[in-house]
Amino acid sequence: MQDGIGEVFAQCPMEHTMNTRQQVFATPDEPVATRSESATGAGDVVHVTLRINGTAYGLQLDPRTTLLDCLRETVGLTGTKKGCDHGQCGACTVHVDGRRVNSCLSLGVMHEGEEITTIEGIGQPGALHPVQAAFLACDAYQCGYCTSGQIMSAVALLDEACGPEDADVRECMSGNICRCGAYPNIVAAIRQVRGKP
Amino acid sequence: MMSVIGRAQPRVDGPLKVSGKALYASDHRFPGMVYAVPVCSTIANGEIQGIDTSAASLMPGVHAIFHRENIGTLFRATVNHEFGADMVHLDETRAPLEDDVIRYYGQYVALAVADTFERAMAAADAVKVTYRSLQPNVDGQLAPETNRKTESERGDPAKAFGEAEVRVDQTYDLPPETHNPIELHASVALWDGTTFTLYETSQGVVNHRNVLAQMLGVSKENVRVITKFMGSGFGGKLWPWTQSALAAAAARQLDKPVKLVVSRRMMFQNVGHRPRVQQRIRLSATRDGRLTSLRQDWVNHTSILDDYKENCGEATPQMYSVPNLRITSALARRNVGSPSPMRGPGAVPGLWATESAMDELALKLGIDPVELRLINEPELDEGLKIPFSSRHLKECLTTGASRFGWAERDPRVGSMKRDGLTLGWGMAGCSWQAARFPCAAAVELRDDGTARVSCATQDIGTGTYTIVAQLAGETLGLPIDKVEAVLGDTQLPAGPLSGGSAATAAVVPAVLEAAGKAIDALLALATTAPGSKFAGRKAADLEYTSGRVHPKGEPATSGIAFETFLRLGNLGAVSGLGSSEGCGAFGTTKPKFSSHSFGAHFVEVTWQPEIARLRVSRVVTVIDAGRILNPLAGRNQIEGAVVMGIGMSLFEETSYDQRTGAPINSNLADYIVAANADVPALEVHFVEYPDTKLNALGARGIGEIGLAGVAAAIANAVYHATGVRVRELPITIEDLLT
Repeated sequence: MQDGIGEVFAQCPMEHTMNTRQQVFATPDEPVATRSESATGAGDVVHVTLRINGTAYGLQLDPRTTLLDCLRETVGLTGTKKGCDHGQCGACTVHVDGRRVNSCLSLGVMHEGEEITTIEGIGQPGALHPVQAAFLACDAYQCGYCTSGQIMSAVALLDEACGPEDADVRECMSGNICRCGAYPNIVAAIRQVRGKP
Repeated sequence: MMSVIGRAQPRVDGPLKVSGKALYASDHRFPGMVYAVPVCSTIANGEIQGIDTSAASLMPGVHAIFHRENIGTLFRATVNHEFGADMVHLDETRAPLEDDVIRYYGQYVALAVADTFERAMAAADAVKVTYRSLQPNVDGQLAPETNRKTESERGDPAKAFGEAEVRVDQTYDLPPETHNPIELHASVALWDGTTFTLYETSQGVVNHRNVLAQMLGVSKENVRVITKFMGSGFGGKLWPWTQSALAAAAARQLDKPVKLVVSRRMMFQNVGHRPRVQQRIRLSATRDGRLTSLRQDWVNHTSILDDYKENCGEATPQMYSVPNLRITSALARRNVGSPSPMRGPGAVPGLWATESAMDELALKLGIDPVELRLINEPELDEGLKIPFSSRHLKECLTTGASRFGWAERDPRVGSMKRDGLTLGWGMAGCSWQAARFPCAAAVELRDDGTARVSCATQDIGTGTYTIVAQLAGETLGLPIDKVEAVLGDTQLPAGPLSGGSAATAAVVPAVLEAAGKAIDALLALATTAPGSKFAGRKAADLEYTSGRVHPKGEPATSGIAFETFLRLGNLGAVSGLGSSEGCGAFGTTKPKFSSHSFGAHFVEVTWQPEIARLRVSRVVTVIDAGRILNPLAGRNQIEGAVVMGIGMSLFEETSYDQRTGAPINSNLADYIVAANADVPALEVHFVEYPDTKLNALGARGIGEIGLAGVAAAIANAVYHATGVRVRELPITIEDLLT
C-alpha cells in the first residue's frame, strides 16, 4: 500500500502534503499552532496520528476538517469522492474499523486509534479486490465518480447481515446514489461476488 | 476484422475507476494551491448595496476576498452557433461579478480564497453583504411573456381539430429538474503569467477553452483545458459556468493555483437546470384512429437575462403521420439561474406530454395504445419532407409488446392483480435526434508495437475512451490492450462535445480515417526505411494486416511487424489525422435524410391503495439506435436513462421558495433521485439496423434516447392501475389519494 500512496504523491506533488508525510511518527510534543490565533480560535490546529490503509500519518488538522477533506486534501488520497458533503449521496464512503461510514459527516480528529480504509486500500490495478473485479466485469458504473463509495459499501456489505435476495442488496446499497443509474449492474456485480464460495 | 466492434468490451479505463485512481477535476493538487469558496446572494432580485470584507480579510490563512472591484476584468463571451473547433457557447452569458444587480438566488457576489478549504469556507461566511431586495418572481404558473414562435407547421390544425370526431386537449406540466451529477462542478486553475491551465469537469473541453479565453481576455492558444475524467454531467457540464472564470481570475490575481469546488447547494443555483415547462397538447383523430391534427404549444421559464428555449417540439413533427400540425414556443422570465440542456433536452419534456396525450386519445378511441401508434406510422419525416435514414419504431413497438406480454393486458382500470397488488401496464414510444458533430482525431503507430488514438473530446461516462480504443484497434487489427486512448485535453485534435448523443457518431469517421492514414504513412515508410525488406517497392504493392506489413496477395503471417519499420527509420511513430464534418442538427448543410433513434418503453407499476404505495416493478425497453458498438456499455446507458426516468416520473422537482426565490430543496435528501431500491430489474433490447447514412459503421449515440418517453409510459401505467391521470410531474402519493 505504501507504493500506491507514493504514486499518488508523485502524480500530485504538494509541498504541504510532502511535509506532512515527512512528519509521520514525528514527536507529538511539538507546538502545533503555527499561525497567530484569531479571536474565534479558527487558527488552531490539532496534532493527530491517523492510521489509513495500514500506514500511520502524523497530521496537523484544522479541527473543522472532515475525514473526507482530510483524506483528499491533507493526505492526498483522492480516490474518496465528495458528492454532497451532507451524508446524502454515499460517494465518500470509507471503512472505519471495518464499518462503512460517510467520511463527510465525520471529523478527521475523531479517528485517532482507529483503522481507516479507503478505496486505495482495497485493491489496485493488477491486484483488484474481487468486488472491484466484479464491478469491472459487470460494467457496474458509468462515469466512475460514485464508484469508490459503491465499492466501499459493497465490500462492507459482504460482512453485514444483508439478506440473500437482490431486493436485499438493493436496500443495503441505497445509501449510495449512482446518478448514471448503473444500479442493475451494481447489483449484478455484488451477486457475482456473493455467489462465490 | 470486426472482432472488437459490437462485442461486449469492459471499459479500458475501468481499472482506474474501480481503484480510485481516475483523476477528476477536483482531484488535481499542486504546490501552493489555495482554495476558493464563492459567497452566494441570499436574495433573488435586487442589488448589492455594500460588501464588507473587513472581518473576513483578517481571518487566518485568507489570501483575498474578491468581488466586483478587485477580481480584474472579466468579459462576456460572444456566443456563436458553430459546433466545431471555433464554437463558443454558454447559457449564462453575463460575466461573473459584472455588476451589482442580483437576478437569481445564489448568484455569486464574492469569492473567498484561503490556504485551506476550511478557512476559505469560514471567510466566505464572514463576508457581510447588504442588499436592496425586491420581490422575486419564481411563480410556477407560466404565461407567455414573449411572442409565440412557430416551430413547425403544416396544414390547418385548427380546422381539422374543429371538425374531428375525437379530440384530446390537455396541458402537461414538468417541474424544474436539476442535473445533479454526483461529481460537483469544480475548477482547478493554474496561471503561469502567460497561459492558463484549467482542470475542469467539462462535456466540451474545446468549447470551454474558447469561452474562457474570451472571458479572461486572452487568446485561446493561451488557455488549455483538461478533463481526463468527469463524474458525468447530463448536459449540466456542456458549457462553462461562472465558477470556472472566477477560479481562473483568482489564479491570475494571486499567481497561485486555485481550487474551486461548487457545493451541492450551488449545483441547484448556479450551474443550470431543466426549466419548468407547461405544454398544451391538442390531438384529434378519426374514429378508426388516424390522427388528423396535432398542436403543441409550450412555455418554458428562463432566466432574466438569457433566452433558454427548451425545444419541446424536437421529436413531434416526425413522430407520427398527421397532416395538420402546429408547434409553438414562448418564454416566461423568472428570477432563476439560466436553464440549460438536460439529457434529451426538448424531446424528453415534449414526449412526456405527447405520449401521455396519445394514451388519452387511445382511451377515448377504445384502441390499444400500441395499435394507435402503429396506425399512425409515417412513411417519411412529414416535418422536413425527407425520408428517414433508418426508422424501426414499429419493430420496437411490436418487439416490446411481445417481450413484455402486452397481449395479456386487460385495459380496464385497476383490473389486473398480482399478490394482492393492483398492476398498471403502460407504454410509450420515444425518439431522439441522431446527428454528428464535426470531429478531428489522430492515430499513431509507435515503435513499441502499440498505437495511440487521441481526440479533444472527453468521456462523460458513456464509454468514449473504450469506443475510440475499439475503433482504432479494429482498424489497425490490434488487440485493445495495445491501443492507448487519450482524450480530454485541448492540445489534442479538436473533438466533439459529449452531448446530443452525437459524440460516438462523430468519432467513428474521424478515427477510421486517421487510422487509415497512419497505415498509409506506415506503408510509405516501409518502402523508404533504410534496410527495409520492402525498400524500393511501391507502397501500393504492400498491405497492412493486423499489425504486419506484407506484399499484396501474400499471407499476412508472412509479413513483418510494423514496429520494425519504425525502428529502421528511427521514427518514434507514424501518424494520421482524420476529420469529419458535422451532420444533422450539428451540420452546416441541409440534410437529405431525417436521422433519429427510436424506441418503446413498456412499464408495469404496482399500486397498493391501502397504504398508497406506488412502485415501478418492471420495465421492458426496446431501442433502435443503429449499430451498437459496445453492447455492455450500451445496455448500461439505456438502463441508466430508464433509472433517471423513474426519478423524473416519481421524485424529481426543484422547488423554489416563493418568498425568497431560493431553490429550497437544494440537497440530495430533499431533491430525490432514484436510489438502488427504487429500481426493479430492467430489460433492454436493441433492434440493430446499422444507420450507415450517419457513418460507416451505422452507429448512433445512445446517451439520451433511453430517457425519452419513460415518464409518459409510467404515467400511463399509473392511470391503468389507479384511474388517475397525472399531468403534472412528479407523480406523488397525493395525486393518487382520490
